[in-house]
Amino acid sequence: MRRKWHWKFFSVLAGIILLLSACSNSSSTSSNKEPNQNKQTSQKEDISKFPIAVKNDGKLVDGVLTYGLVYDTPFEGTLSRAFYEGQPDAEVLQFFDEPLLRMNENYEITNDGAATYELSNDKKTITIKIKDNVNWHDGEPVKAEDLEYAYLVIGNKDYTGVRYGDALIQDIVGMEEYHSGKTNKISGIKVIDDKTLSITWKHANPSVLTGIWTSPLPKHYLKDIPIKQLAQSDKIRKNPIGFGPFKIKKIVPGESVEFVRNDDYWEGKPNLKGVIVKVVSPKVVLQSLKKGEIDIAEFPTDQYVNAKGTKNIQFIGAIDLAYNYIGFKLGHWDAKKQENVMDNPKFQNKKLRQAMAYAIDNQAVADKLYHGLRFPATTLIPPSFPGYYDKTAKGYSYNPEKAKKLLDEAGYKDKDGDGLREDPNGKKFTINFLSMSGGDIAEPLAKFYIQCWKDVGLDVQLVDGRLAEFNSFYDMVEKDDPKVDVFAAAWYTGTDVDPYGLYGRDVMFNYSRWVNDKNDELLEKGHSEQAFDTEYRKEIYNQWQELMNEEVPVIPTLYRSIIYAVNNRVKNYSADVYQFNWKWKDVGVTSETPEVE
Amino acid sequence: MLKFILRRIVIMIPQLFLLSILVFLLAKAMPGDALTGRLANNPKMDAQTLAEMKEKLGLNDPPYVQYVRWIKNLMQGDLGISYIHQQPVTDLLSERIGNTLLLSACILILSYIIAIPLGIVSGRWTNSLADKLIVGYSYLSFATPLFIFALLMLFVFGFILGWFPTGGSVNIQVEKGTVDYYISKINHLILPSLSGALLSTVGTIQYLRNEIIDTKIKDFVKTARAKGVPESRIYSRHILRNSFLPIAAFLGYEITGLIGGSIFLESIFSYPGIGQLFLQSIMQRDYSVITALVMISGLATLLGTLLSDIILSAVDPRIRIE
Repeated sequence: MRRKWHWKFFSVLAGIILLLSACSNSSSTSSNKEPNQNKQTSQKEDISKFPIAVKNDGKLVDGVLTYGLVYDTPFEGTLSRAFYEGQPDAEVLQFFDEPLLRMNENYEITNDGAATYELSNDKKTITIKIKDNVNWHDGEPVKAEDLEYAYLVIGNKDYTGVRYGDALIQDIVGMEEYHSGKTNKISGIKVIDDKTLSITWKHANPSVLTGIWTSPLPKHYLKDIPIKQLAQSDKIRKNPIGFGPFKIKKIVPGESVEFVRNDDYWEGKPNLKGVIVKVVSPKVVLQSLKKGEIDIAEFPTDQYVNAKGTKNIQFIGAIDLAYNYIGFKLGHWDAKKQENVMDNPKFQNKKLRQAMAYAIDNQAVADKLYHGLRFPATTLIPPSFPGYYDKTAKGYSYNPEKAKKLLDEAGYKDKDGDGLREDPNGKKFTINFLSMSGGDIAEPLAKFYIQCWKDVGLDVQLVDGRLAEFNSFYDMVEKDDPKVDVFAAAWYTGTDVDPYGLYGRDVMFNYSRWVNDKNDELLEKGHSEQAFDTEYRKEIYNQWQELMNEEVPVIPTLYRSIIYAVNNRVKNYSADVYQFNWKWKDVGVTSETPEVE
Repeated sequence: MLKFILRRIVIMIPQLFLLSILVFLLAKAMPGDALTGRLANNPKMDAQTLAEMKEKLGLNDPPYVQYVRWIKNLMQGDLGISYIHQQPVTDLLSERIGNTLLLSACILILSYIIAIPLGIVSGRWTNSLADKLIVGYSYLSFATPLFIFALLMLFVFGFILGWFPTGGSVNIQVEKGTVDYYISKINHLILPSLSGALLSTVGTIQYLRNEIIDTKIKDFVKTARAKGVPESRIYSRHILRNSFLPIAAFLGYEITGLIGGSIFLESIFSYPGIGQLFLQSIMQRDYSVITALVMISGLATLLGTLLSDIILSAVDPRIRIE
């Protein structure tokens, strides 16, 4: 009798387990139903085939759109362009605030925005004129002194944000004196009249066109708050105002924001009645989209293969302003001299670096691990800068034979016959590779690179035998930990093409610590007055890209894609983040409720 | 009794002090700081400005100086400023603690509502089919990882059936203070709290079941039976009262555990509470938040044990604290 009971008990248990696993199968990978799913997993995607904008011929209705913030990191709610740091905040800001000057597809400022600009003949002074009908959400006009106030806040010694690090801000005449507290105005910034302001720099720098700060702060609204307390004040966290197409109605901290239409928007009445922005966990983003709970979200590329073919959403995409690379530690950062010193002998031989670049098969990584949504990088200026990316650059494609030959030439030969090469002095040669953890791909990716190098006879080991967590990773890289020889990292480039901030001699972010006279010269020319001539600048940056590919202080490995999932009812939305061919004002919906799968 | 409580509180002071040193040192021992790697998204930064910012944040001072500064502020109730959120930690916590308290209280109440009847049934009718199912469920729930179970609940009841909202603590479009507002809050609570409650019943069920089985064979129960007291009365009067003692004792812990929140539940349901904040702060090395949260939950645990002792002595006349 007892045995029988046991049997029943276990069968119930087994039943429950089966039920549970069945549920999880059908819910987490519901695209399994589609017949060609096996092909899908091996099929390669191509970001250049993604449409940049959504397609919708429907008639607009007066509706509310829901926008998803897909992040594991917090939505901090520091809602000011001068103070925010996290990406979720940036995504919220786009609805209610905008810079005065808009950009074109080369990320250069134009005269289409809320202000127009004029550059002086010596290129050192810009005059910005704000259009007449541009008003803050409380009805006050946006004035020249509001933009001046933004600079006064950022340059102030009590300022708590990160924007002062920008070279273009520090280069303004009188900024240094103001920052150290010697003056209480910035002499290089002049308010000419209510709506006009001029900024003068010490040097002429073409990066002005791509990197100038033009986000004003509402002085009349914020001026009574001490600068030290601005970031934590309710006027920035709870009731911030801007002059963008939507006004903030309500904020639930860490969770959601409700916007309503700003009828007084300078460019005309926006199409949407309102926007709801809410945080969505990356784990459930696809389900939320399918159910129509959110209309638009930046979509995690690693989930794309499962999401493809979902009927109620369109995927649009573009090449991201970023690249992955593998860097060699060639020296250290001298904090006293504020300079990189190239004193680590291990990788000074160029041929060794080149061989390691030839040895890795980035095409395989891109196709097999990223399904083509990342693709092999050829130079350090990504194709998201169409004006400067050198299309003809070959980079380093997979060529193990050439790698072996280069290693032989450099004197790295296998002398004791164990299949691994020794250094030119015949000593054991081990390379310590630092790679970051996070995501399912991190582990196979690191293993793959190590195997590639082993195939040409190089003994590569992970630092401490494991992947490093984000903070430890950057801690070791920033401090030039001697345990690290080679590291795999990534950069977001921002909209400014100038690579000086990442590879200059006196730049801390030059993590490889590589210094070179030719590099100094080219980088200097690249942001000189002469470089306002686009052809000249392009030529200089082509030379620079060639130099970097020849010297390989870092190996460019992959370019990235950015994908947005958008509900079919949305009209006039586009994947280019810098909004040069679309505006939030024009985005609309063609039905009251979202389409559901 | 009063003396006992006072003595316990006095002992707490060195305990908290030790905890503070430990928490601080461990937090500082984590590789990196609030500025590490944060700027990969914003390479427009020069070394000097970064050094200035570190100086402003006091990150360049030796650890003992940082510790003394921190403990001084702590004693004045100032938990510091969150670097990541750029606002005082006390403000940050007050925004979120309400959500967490609400969620944890719901989980606690729901788990008692589920566990107590089950525990009684399974203790009273030992080895019956019902008992076996209940014990089976309690083991299964003990073995099921919360982060998978919660996701499953979310998919089934949130996405497939669509009965409940799938994230957040309230629908932003309803006006605060209206009936709809409270309905929306409750609606957002059901799924996360049910997920939490279904998996946190094992302790209560097992304690209750074992106590009932133990008490069932005690002499006073036999005496009562011999006197002809009806079975239902024996259970409700004699056995249950005794069996609830360990659960009452645990209540103190549970109540103070409420403020810790649930890391998994809050992350999966995008529910802005303390647990989610704690996880994110560790990932981003937001020291002031981490140390504040650990100190608070340390304090809560100490208070919880005290509360447990007090509750126990209150409900069990046999226990007298001197």
